[in-house]
Amino acid sequence: MTLNTEKRPPLDYDVMIVGAGVAGMEAAASMGDMGYRVLLVEKNASIGGRAILLSKVFPTLDCASCVVTPKMASVSHHPNVQLMTYSEIDGISRKADGSFDVALHRKAAYVDFDACTGCGKCAEICTVTVPDQYNYDLVTRRIAHIPFPQAVPKKSVITRRGEAPCTFTCPGNVKASGYVSLVRAGRYKEAFNLHLENAPLVGSLSRACYAPCESDCTRGEKEGTLHIRGIKRFMADRYYAEHPEPEYGPVENRLDTRVAIVGSGPAGLSAAFYLARQGHQVTIFEAEKEPGGMLRTAIPAYRLPEDVVDRDIKNVTALGVDIKTGYRITSLPELKQQGFNATLIATGASDENGLDIDGHDLEGVMGCMHFLHEVNIGKLPDVKNKIVMVIGGGNSAMDPARAAIRMGAGKVMINYRRGRKEMPAHDWEIEGAADEGVELMLMSAPIRFIGLNGKLVAVECISMELGEPDESGRRRPIPVKGSERVISVDMAILAIGLLPSTAHFPADMKNGKGLLLSDPQTLQTSDPDVFACGDCVTAPTMIINAIAQGRRAAFYMDRHLKGESLNVPFDGVIEKTDKSIVLEEARHFVERQPVQQPMLSIDERRKTFECYEQPMTEAEARQEAQRCMNCGECSQCMECVSVCAPQCIDFAQKPIPLSLNVGTVVMSTGFGILNPATKPLLGYDKFADVISGPQMDRLLAPTRPYNAVLRPSDGKEPESIAFVLCVGSRDHTVCNPLCCRIGCMYSMKQAQLAMGALPMADITIYTIDVRAFGKGYNEFYEQSKSMGIEFVKGKVARIEQLGNGNLALHYEDMLGKGGRNIREHDLVVLTVGFLPNTNALALYKGSELAADDFGYVREIDPISEPTRTNVDGLFVAGTAIGVMDIPDTVLHSGAAAAQAAAYLERMRGR
Amino acid sequence: MAHKRRIGVYVCHCGGNISDHVNVKEVAKTLADEAEVEITRTHLFACSDASQQEMIDEIKERNLDGLVIASCSPKLHLFTFRAMAERAGLNPYQYVHVNIREQCSWAHTGDKVGATEKGIHITRAGVAKCALTNSLTPFRLETQPRVMVIGAGVAGLRAAISLADMGLSVFVIERGNEPGGWAAQVGRMGPDDRYGPDIVANLLEQIRKQENIVLFTNAELTAKTGHIGDFNATVRLHGKEDVSLNVGAFIVTTGFTPYEPRDGEYGWGLPGVVTLKDFRQMLEAAGGGRLTHNGIPVRDVGFIYCVGSRQTQSDTCPEPNTHCSRFCCMATTFSASLLHEFEKKSGQTINQYHLYRDVRTYGRLETVYSKARADGALFLRWDPTEPPRVERCDGRLAIKVKDTLLGNEELEIDADLVVLATGMTPRKNDTLKNVLKVTESKDGFYKEIHIKLRPVETAIDGVFIAGTAQGPKNLAESVASSLAAVAKAGGRLKRGFVDLEPLIAKIDTGKCVWCDECLKACPYGAIERVVCGDKEVAMVIESSCKGEGGCVPVCAQNAIDIEGYRNEQILAMIDASQKELVTA
Repeated sequence: MTLNTEKRPPLDYDVMIVGAGVAGMEAAASMGDMGYRVLLVEKNASIGGRAILLSKVFPTLDCASCVVTPKMASVSHHPNVQLMTYSEIDGISRKADGSFDVALHRKAAYVDFDACTGCGKCAEICTVTVPDQYNYDLVTRRIAHIPFPQAVPKKSVITRRGEAPCTFTCPGNVKASGYVSLVRAGRYKEAFNLHLENAPLVGSLSRACYAPCESDCTRGEKEGTLHIRGIKRFMADRYYAEHPEPEYGPVENRLDTRVAIVGSGPAGLSAAFYLARQGHQVTIFEAEKEPGGMLRTAIPAYRLPEDVVDRDIKNVTALGVDIKTGYRITSLPELKQQGFNATLIATGASDENGLDIDGHDLEGVMGCMHFLHEVNIGKLPDVKNKIVMVIGGGNSAMDPARAAIRMGAGKVMINYRRGRKEMPAHDWEIEGAADEGVELMLMSAPIRFIGLNGKLVAVECISMELGEPDESGRRRPIPVKGSERVISVDMAILAIGLLPSTAHFPADMKNGKGLLLSDPQTLQTSDPDVFACGDCVTAPTMIINAIAQGRRAAFYMDRHLKGESLNVPFDGVIEKTDKSIVLEEARHFVERQPVQQPMLSIDERRKTFECYEQPMTEAEARQEAQRCMNCGECSQCMECVSVCAPQCIDFAQKPIPLSLNVGTVVMSTGFGILNPATKPLLGYDKFADVISGPQMDRLLAPTRPYNAVLRPSDGKEPESIAFVLCVGSRDHTVCNPLCCRIGCMYSMKQAQLAMGALPMADITIYTIDVRAFGKGYNEFYEQSKSMGIEFVKGKVARIEQLGNGNLALHYEDMLGKGGRNIREHDLVVLTVGFLPNTNALALYKGSELAADDFGYVREIDPISEPTRTNVDGLFVAGTAIGVMDIPDTVLHSGAAAAQAAAYLERMRGR
Repeated sequence: MAHKRRIGVYVCHCGGNISDHVNVKEVAKTLADEAEVEITRTHLFACSDASQQEMIDEIKERNLDGLVIASCSPKLHLFTFRAMAERAGLNPYQYVHVNIREQCSWAHTGDKVGATEKGIHITRAGVAKCALTNSLTPFRLETQPRVMVIGAGVAGLRAAISLADMGLSVFVIERGNEPGGWAAQVGRMGPDDRYGPDIVANLLEQIRKQENIVLFTNAELTAKTGHIGDFNATVRLHGKEDVSLNVGAFIVTTGFTPYEPRDGEYGWGLPGVVTLKDFRQMLEAAGGGRLTHNGIPVRDVGFIYCVGSRQTQSDTCPEPNTHCSRFCCMATTFSASLLHEFEKKSGQTINQYHLYRDVRTYGRLETVYSKARADGALFLRWDPTEPPRVERCDGRLAIKVKDTLLGNEELEIDADLVVLATGMTPRKNDTLKNVLKVTESKDGFYKEIHIKLRPVETAIDGVFIAGTAQGPKNLAESVASSLAAVAKAGGRLKRGFVDLEPLIAKIDTGKCVWCDECLKACPYGAIERVVCGDKEVAMVIESSCKGEGGCVPVCAQNAIDIEGYRNEQILAMIDASQKELVTA
């Protein structure tokens, strides 16, 4: 290849080195010493690679820290080396002039590294733990964490896999994962306060939310979904019991902007809360005598008691929000005249659809809203021993039906024109109603109300059958001719749809269905000072939707009132976590059955308006919270934010992309470790005391997780340790015919260290060959034997657990009498093989970075041109070409530095 | 009396390496009572970046003018902490390293009280020394952009090319008549079936094109003076003519000597008992014809592994080679496939038996072993307590071996050839060793400073080792190490200067009366006689002095001090370390 030696723009760096393990650090320091400007990119939060996690290193038994920290220190302070940790390469391509264009990005750590002092407070308070990859999953780490004590740079990192499905699915983005993890940690007040950040009506939601979060819970794919609302109920009850009044008052910096809100339902209250928090002076106008909207008038007390609504509303009024009840707003200009700078319409949808058939005006025929309103304000309609027919199949049909049962109705039936499957009500509502004695009359529609003396006495119904699907996709019901019949009914309750309560507003603000028109993003209407949200905009929906709309409206109204642009996004929600990843990683999670929600018996339910759902106990709530699988990793509980003194945690952080031009590239991308579970007969997945070689190294390291060498199953000191070599190496069954090259040595090292830590333990190494080939290695082998470590030539085929918990190793006794043998041990270490890091190959976006037959980066001529790949100017260092020990890695990466330097000099056209 | 010093003392846990056996809190607490100690602290890992930053902040904040860190061996972290002191605004030579890991924790494992007491004593000594430190500046010396590569095997030749690529001039000196070393002689080489002579020819072709490489054959290094960056080397050509060459560094790639079996060792000396190299040359010579020995076609070949490697001491083997020679398993199993290939090509049926201890075809070399088995090689495993015996029998050879995998049954294998896979031994060259002053590891190969931290550097600054001179390697590994040496040499020479330690001898010319005792005591030739005013005195050649200190005790006038280890410092350290320990 000829190089274009004409003038070129200066390079950003002479060399980029990818991967800051031993090889990368060595190459970086060598290149830096030669005077080249080096960029050292590391995808993890700390440099040091795998070697820094080791206990000691063979054959000298220096501690790994002693060998690796000098290299870490030298690159991190090298004047010619720029470190870029927690950064990933997106692509490398070669230019005609021989240099390389690199696209990379610094990952979002949600921590400002410049400000972080590495104090570790965030990790202490973090409520979520995950398996600690730096301890090879032996123990857990917090989500906010510093990788390990010797980390460089010593900065915290917060890991997020995505938004937890529960939080993502919640229309209000209430941080379900966050308050669940706080309840799990016993921090109920913090849990409650976190909830306030997204929805102020915590109590109401804890009783009456349809909980879409639960329908998207990953645990649902296993033993059953978390009862998130039940946990919330516990949290809200606990908080309200301890705090009859809110802990706060109006904000200190009150503004002189005045906002009018029309309607005190969930949307209006929510908007008021967030506007008042910003300092605006908020007045809510409510036509009813009591605030709360549908929460108070439409939801029966057995689901949502009034005192809970009252306490929820205090969360809003404590901020200084004024609620004027019994005050129906009929004119928007009137509000402007009163001096309100902006108005929010949140009047809901409680007007009822009528049924235009004969007899609809008879006494005894009423709307469900009317019925429930009467019930809730205590004007109990007399249904005792009467026959009640509810018409409709939605959730709003269930409430009057179940209320009527409680009021002593003789018979309650729900008349619905489609089948059970087509009923829009939630299954659990239908089942609850049926349990309580409500009869379902399906595929049936009323065609006439029959009265006597102006009072309803019967309903004539006709049977239906399902025809072609209509525009909603549901099959259209068609009357069956001749199936008319008359049924005795004392009261008919129509639950066939609600209409927006927007009669007082001008037609040009509404669409044909009466819904108010507002921008879906900002909720601003055609009048910039008027916003509209909630059911009067969206049509009837869930409480949490209305609350979400209220908070959204408040966000944009606040900006509008402050004269700020509305062209900004609302809520920094990130992508939803891929559940399959969570499930894959949770393969080994213990089974946790759902906590059974305590319920009143059906008999009791039929008699009382008391909540049929009984609260969970503290223990139950925490136990249920324990079942959370931490799908998003970070739960967004925000505790770290509250303790970080330099305020360096920033969840708005986004990855920072960079494009660079560098002279040459050295790939020191390391290797992967074979999962010992790929050899199922060895029991790694099944038995806690069968551990992997890397795990054993952690048990022996100075920063060891248990501060002693203990069996993971019961914390006992092992008395008989077996090392099983060549697990997944020299093994065609896992498609890895290669020798792992370091297993014999690292196992002997571990065996020697284990002897030091546990002088009484017997240690046996099961091997095929003992490959102690490097400088001082064979001597180390001889030393191991003379220390009393037993070497057994024989491949272990199977490991089983004995009744006493110990492990039985089945192996072929090759040197003794031969045949199959069984030996008992109480800790087994599987000396696992290694895998290529195939990600390395994908980084190069040119033609192709060539791999060898085993997936490692291929050296085109290991003898004459070591470290050279098929891409001119792109070199490979260390274990990226195949696993090797540290001395060989150091030499190989030195060679890469020499090669890269020579390339740069050639490119400079010497 | 100088002003009172403000010294910071930091005691390291080293994870648990120190704190498991030394009460580091106690050491820190006790040291806090020393008069010149301003602050004491402990760190989990003093060497970690975060700890260093904390210390730097504290040094600046408290305006410290001395620093003592009680931690591991100075071999590991002396330079780490000197650099840290410098970043904190201290003179790096006002830092004193105390080793309480090797000297206390590891030496007195299990005696926590004793180890802790000793830790206190030697840390006090460190503080006393620190209180008497001076601000020192390294000597900056210009370097020459030239390197001498000693040994023109593949590793040396390839290093020369890389050095030249980096813009350095190179002299390659080769003791023998021809460059190319071992690779030029062995023909086809595993694992990738490369042809050695082609590799050598290719390298020589490249060298011919490079203007700044000069290759001398029949050349030996006979003398060396100077220091890193600026050595004068004397090279004797053809045993007579001397040339003087000025270089900044040496890379030693002198290779190995193949093991020569003792008479009778595995039948050595019997007709038909040959080394692997001999066998390969026979095979190559046979070409497509017949492989014969003494005119008789070869039907059976036995290969014996680990000849001259992995030895244990015995009467017949008083100085055993305990090391594994690393390359032979691959070379022998590769030969198995070559023999099989020959069989197929020639139609001559040859059985092959491989008598091994462990087959160490590590990493991807495993594929070579697998292929050998697939190619029909039979493997038999023997135990070193009962090694195979080779005897003459009916005009052929008989190998008696107990196969440990067949219940130790004794087998007798008739063979026409017995091939000994002889290992690598260190190449003995006392002249070179004395000139370069490089030291040897226990196994006799040249010794690196630290196998993982500084594997191609030696105790002599500017002298690098690579290839099999440092230890057994295969060809690719040799070349990788020689390029690593290139990178290190380049790192030292490309800047154009080096900084040398100022911890060297100083002569009080007032006291000196020139008796020449110091000159005789100095192994580095760093003393010169000069006229100073009206008398002759000794002068230290700063660039040559290593601060070794042999001159100090022989000076009758007490005129010599080693900076960093001045007499007053040593005495103060002794006094401080003797101070009684008051324990609670």
